[in-house]
Amino acid sequence: MKIEIQDYCIRCGLCEDLYPQLFTLNIDDDKIDLAYDDDIPTDLEQAAQDARRDCAIAAIFLK
Amino acid sequence: MKSLTTDIAIMGSGLAGLTAAVKAAEAGAKVAVFEKRPFQGGGVSNTPMMTLVVRDEQEYKDKAFKVHMEYTNYSADAAMVRSWIDNSSHIPEFINRLGIDFLHVLKFDLDTLGRLPGYGGGFPNGMHIGDYYLLKPQGKGHGAAVICKRMADTVTKLGGDVRFSCPVTGLVREGDKVTGLVATEKDGDELHVNAKAVIIASGGFSDNPQMIKKYTGFTYTNNNCDDGGDVLFNTLPGARLTGDGQQAVWAIGGAQGSMGINGHNLVPGPGIIGNTPWVMKNQMRIIQEQPYLWVNQRGERFIDEDISNNHMAMGTCIASQPGRCAYIIVDEATVRRMEQVGLDHIYFIFPAEKLSDVRGQFEYLINVVGNKHAFMADTLEELCAQTGISLEGLEKTLKAYNDYCDAGYDAQFAKNPAFLRPVREPKFYALRCFCGGYQALGGIRVNGNCEVVDADYEPIKGLYAAGDCAAGNIWGDPPTGGIGVSTISFAHGFISARKAVEHAKAL
Repeated sequence: MKIEIQDYCIRCGLCEDLYPQLFTLNIDDDKIDLAYDDDIPTDLEQAAQDARRDCAIAAIFLK
Repeated sequence: MKSLTTDIAIMGSGLAGLTAAVKAAEAGAKVAVFEKRPFQGGGVSNTPMMTLVVRDEQEYKDKAFKVHMEYTNYSADAAMVRSWIDNSSHIPEFINRLGIDFLHVLKFDLDTLGRLPGYGGGFPNGMHIGDYYLLKPQGKGHGAAVICKRMADTVTKLGGDVRFSCPVTGLVREGDKVTGLVATEKDGDELHVNAKAVIIASGGFSDNPQMIKKYTGFTYTNNNCDDGGDVLFNTLPGARLTGDGQQAVWAIGGAQGSMGINGHNLVPGPGIIGNTPWVMKNQMRIIQEQPYLWVNQRGERFIDEDISNNHMAMGTCIASQPGRCAYIIVDEATVRRMEQVGLDHIYFIFPAEKLSDVRGQFEYLINVVGNKHAFMADTLEELCAQTGISLEGLEKTLKAYNDYCDAGYDAQFAKNPAFLRPVREPKFYALRCFCGGYQALGGIRVNGNCEVVDADYEPIKGLYAAGDCAAGNIWGDPPTGGIGVSTISFAHGFISARKAVEHAKAL
């Protein structure tokens, strides 16, 4: 499972607050840094699903 | 050099800018929006999106106008207030048309306007002038983020041009009118935009420490007030609310409008507010809402503490204290009551009715997080040594205050007797609160038509301003409110679009 963040993400950092093991708000570069650019570990897949559900703007896609 | 020609050019893609863009595009104008960040939305994307609507009945609109003017001690611009109130009734239909529903609608009778205590639905007393509409959020966020996205998409669908990573660097004025703006494209190229009208909707200046110091006297902090700062905001992280719109307008002769801070009582610290202030990490934000003993650094009370959940009023009071901070102090008996019986003020954002393990939460904050604004002590002497509160002052205050509690009457400030809780039983707990949270706003002087005016109050043709950058004169001078600015951003968006389109069509 891979995480993809859409351009319209508002960089609010909600994902970092709730799922820091997957996301980091990078204010300097105005983007969200992903902990895993490729497949995420299996034990974090549920957290990724939850992050997709909780995102303030539905900008987290899972592939 | 690149150039672009449009009817209406808009600086900023927050609530006000995109509302104006949608309305202008719907009216048939060619619209271009310039946003410096790589995505849509302004500071509002991080706020609980409850918007105020004055219903479309004359007696409600008249009452709302009178209450609001009284609230600002008649220092607000009456024409602008009237215009905002008249336009607010169109907000629900506008939002619904974007495909967004409301989670709650709280309607209030005419007699209650201006009279509800505390925040009620999220507005200070003076703003209890209408009904509250809470947007349905996406996920664990707020509806404002979704509405900005929907508006940006709508503008694009209507043939408008929404440009991201494209900051406006200046306005072009020829004689008595504005004829366009200059922006910088993502690749660094300068873009000259010829426009029949320009709407500035660039937001406040919460991310500009120099402007905050110069125009409000506060000292900005992004380090939880641990660096000597005395105002902190929880608007969208990195929102870059730099006051660039205000400065662009001033540079071509626009007058300065009233400017100020609208902030509530806020205990700073890691573990209390992260990126998303509505996601509760502990219960400190609930404690700071309570109507118990509040003192300043001199150990003196300064207000009837029942207003502690009237955010704007409490922010104003705290800002008036030495060091621009204040402390809520409770003892073990009151902590026990908050845990076992319940709270006196229920905070609608974190609507817990009771607290749990208050001591454990304080211990964690102090010992694990290293928070410098939460305190716990076995004696008053120790509490004062930790906090810097004057022991002599606090002892004097407590002698009188505890007597008021026993007598059931607050001879000093006439607080509701139900909230008189003595401070006697160790341990003693304190939270140091500063003023902050919402916004540094205002700066562009507009008239009731959202037209930017010059030093003689003469409108500069073709130049309009909307939203937080122009909201100062709605809140008086200096602005003493501001929570619920979304209602103004929508209304300003409607008004500025209508006037800008009229102007463009007449050319």
